[in-house]
Amino acid sequence: MSELESRLTQLGRELDWPATPELAPVVARRIREAEAPAPEAESPAPAPRRHRRRLLPPAGFRRSLAIAVVALLVLAGGVFAAVPNVRDSVLDFFGLQGATVERRQELPPAPPPGPLTLGQRTTLAAARDSLAFDPLVPEAAEPPDGVYVERAVPGGLLSLAYRARAGLPEAKSTGLGLLVTEFRGDLMPEYAGKIAGQATRVERLTVDGHRALWLEGAPHFFFYRAPDQPFREERLRIAQNVLLLEDGRLLVRLEGAFDRERAVELARSLR
Amino acid sequence: MHQTIAFRTAWVITRNEPDAEEAAQDAFVKAHAALGRFREGAPFRPWLLAIVANEARNRLRSAGRRTGLALRVAEERRPDDAVPSPEAALLDSERRERLRAAIERLPDPAREAVACRYLLDLSEEETAAALDCPRGTVKSRLSRALDRLRVELGEEVQA
Repeated sequence: MSELESRLTQLGRELDWPATPELAPVVARRIREAEAPAPEAESPAPAPRRHRRRLLPPAGFRRSLAIAVVALLVLAGGVFAAVPNVRDSVLDFFGLQGATVERRQELPPAPPPGPLTLGQRTTLAAARDSLAFDPLVPEAAEPPDGVYVERAVPGGLLSLAYRARAGLPEAKSTGLGLLVTEFRGDLMPEYAGKIAGQATRVERLTVDGHRALWLEGAPHFFFYRAPDQPFREERLRIAQNVLLLEDGRLLVRLEGAFDRERAVELARSLR
Repeated sequence: MHQTIAFRTAWVITRNEPDAEEAAQDAFVKAHAALGRFREGAPFRPWLLAIVANEARNRLRSAGRRTGLALRVAEERRPDDAVPSPEAALLDSERRERLRAAIERLPDPAREAVACRYLLDLSEEETAAALDCPRGTVKSRLSRALDRLRVELGEEVQA
């Protein structure tokens, strides 16, 4: 690749692309409408957006705005199950800024267990000075037992480690009671990901107005993509229950052996 | 995973956010309806991007708009441990701006090819699918575009 081509590729990473709108709910709704014209129920109102017009289907599809409830799992089981050969790719579509959930028919081989790679150990105060965001700490938990920063990630990646304790049972995946990971999702779109098998429960949530995904059940895989090699999976490891939360430009990930209610409680206490 | 690349591809063609969003929505719905025609084993993304780009072009034609890409360089795109000096930052910023402006001045086919191949970092196959042309055409458009950019940028870049 010539110098000019390298500069063009780099420019693409530095451009202020328009924010990608949330396409999944509208697409899911339209697919359901096309397959089952009679609406079943009213869907929750979408959050206010700058471009309201964009949420409307184009003229060809305006015959009905009655909305069916389409949850991710319903869509996966009811619509895409009929086309297993491309189901995995289609389900790639769902995700949060900075993270995706990819459902696969067959999971990759389990990697050998190894130590967590969280970056350089530091203090919360030092982390605040070195990150391109204000760290969020779950007040519903005690202060973290370990604070780590990974600088290779644009904007920095913060990990807060909590030993197992009452209310935070030990997770086999990490050996910790709670692992909180935070990074700027807008700087690293689709940087982190999940590969979930068919038995893993994936649920879309809203936590205090923030979009979130809850993954629970059969072990799924968690990976980061190398910043300079966006399509290579690395640091693949088995993860336990996980709540992914999008808070503005920040992507927060809470992993542990706790249930959804406890995860939401922890997420709500992020300050 | 595909929604960002689909939306940005549509935006490169329509140059308009609402149109790009509607084009991407339409494309996903149509892709779903056409899943039965998807060739098993073929890569999914070029197939999807071809549908996205087709929807985007339809919107561009019906809107009759011919505006620039309005590309902007983001202010914050550096890891904290790579903060340049103010002088270096200014120089970098000026070089990026010159490159951005030179891309804006390219003819539409060349600009779309550059935007898809380099700015969106699509593969040649994906770029060809998005531009609805053979890979050879993509290569020739890119070659001409790079030549023109080198002329515009003068000695700033090496061949």
